[in-house]
Amino acid sequence: MQQHIDNKTYHVEILPPKQDSEKLDADLELFATKFKRVMESGYCACLTDNAMGNLAFQGPEMLEELGLEPKKDLVMIHLNTFHTKENLDGILNSCKALKIRQLLVITGDGSDRLPKLAPSDIGAEGVESVTSVELLKYIVREYPGDFELGVAFNPYEPEEHEAAKMERKLAAGAEFIITQPVIERNEIVDKLLAKYPTIPVIVEAWMSKKIDLLSEAVGYEIKTATDPFDPIATLKILHQNYRKCGIYLSLLGFKTQYDLIANTWK
Amino acid sequence: MKIVVCVKQVPGSNDAKIDPETKRIIREGIKAVTNPFDTYAVEEAVRIKEKIGGEVVVLTMGPPRADIVLREGISVGADKAVLLSDRAFGGSDTWATSYALARAIEKIGGVDLVICGKQAIDGDTAQVGPGIAAQLDWPQATYVMAVPEITAAGIQVKRMHEDGWDQCEIKLPAVLTVVKDINQPRIPTLKGRLAAQKIEIPTWTAADIGADPALIGLNGSPTRVVKTNPPPERSKASLKLNGTPEDSARRLVRELRLRGLV
Repeated sequence: MQQHIDNKTYHVEILPPKQDSEKLDADLELFATKFKRVMESGYCACLTDNAMGNLAFQGPEMLEELGLEPKKDLVMIHLNTFHTKENLDGILNSCKALKIRQLLVITGDGSDRLPKLAPSDIGAEGVESVTSVELLKYIVREYPGDFELGVAFNPYEPEEHEAAKMERKLAAGAEFIITQPVIERNEIVDKLLAKYPTIPVIVEAWMSKKIDLLSEAVGYEIKTATDPFDPIATLKILHQNYRKCGIYLSLLGFKTQYDLIANTWK
Repeated sequence: MKIVVCVKQVPGSNDAKIDPETKRIIREGIKAVTNPFDTYAVEEAVRIKEKIGGEVVVLTMGPPRADIVLREGISVGADKAVLLSDRAFGGSDTWATSYALARAIEKIGGVDLVICGKQAIDGDTAQVGPGIAAQLDWPQATYVMAVPEITAAGIQVKRMHEDGWDQCEIKLPAVLTVVKDINQPRIPTLKGRLAAQKIEIPTWTAADIGADPALIGLNGSPTRVVKTNPPPERSKASLKLNGTPEDSARRLVRELRLRGLV
């Protein structure tokens, strides 16, 4: 992951179409267009896993069915704990077949229709439920050397609790960290960087103008200095504040913002 | 093993209104979904097929747009689908519906097992599954929570009841109605969804299944709905949190924080 930071490679989030899409063909075409554009730009495409608990198609099956070719080390798959064991192994084996190495391992958001891995499914002992920690341990144990594993850091959770979780995630095999969206600067993220100077950290930039959505996502009311919120200006500030970090672009507008980011990371 | 799964399209919203004249649900403009209990029936049929081989046919009766629920069945592993659609079926109660579905099952032919959800969430009658069994004169097991064993000759099922469960053996052909505890329905793959988009679904009319006009629609319905009222509105202040205790606690804290309560 460090090479993405050294090469100033943006991580661009792409959401696969939802399961209940009523215009699936158009959504598939849009996904393919976005993916190809990210590949052509030399950025890293980050494919989400049922983001916010909304049922969607899986990243690897999207690439397989649409015949999209991932460039080496430029695709990251999000993988959460809301799968059956069979599906989990299916996704991991598809990633291997597609030569996708980067995984962001997260606990994730469930829904009524999503199954949840049970501790016994993946040989986790002494826990009541499976979190990203148990999932990391499983992947490290069952797929040794196949993946570069990342984890999420949430500066909006209680600090001590999140710090303890990060210790467990790193002990379980995490090799890089992606934060929740940071607006300009976050002192909890600063502490994380100081504590783990050798771990690659990717800071998430919120690219939607709808800042209330971010509040909804992180569970806190996020206030911004600018009103209306200016994502591109805020991205530039983020670069200045986190020069040694990578940047993950969530909800990037491909029509209105994509061309504008070409020169923001200098 | 040839299995037919009867599925129903139901309103996917709590906003459904009731027509004061006909006393029936106004379905226009409401997003329709597969009756949730029926998704468990489809899943169980597909699991049986995967275990011992065979074919799964999904069957529904409704307007032409009801093909959506059949395509959902195909997307998770059913092989074929049949839509019963004819104005002559309009107004059918559970008995007339059971009759029409039974005639369609006979026309499909060679069926060993029929599986239904225990009830539809719009009518909540739980009568159609047993009604099909009665029309076909086949044995039935309702409230099935597990199928421990199935062979070409017979099936073992666990039936849920208030004090636990019974284990029963039934000769085939038979009809089952299933509860949610029976399995965890799979999520459609993109491959399955694309296959479902392309599949041709035959539409059978009353004449196609040789239905007696006196036994379908309002003419064939011994019951009449004379009055229907919507349930009292639920308080919007309530929020149901599903999942493990840990997940629920995490979401609860989040919701409280968003409301500025903690």
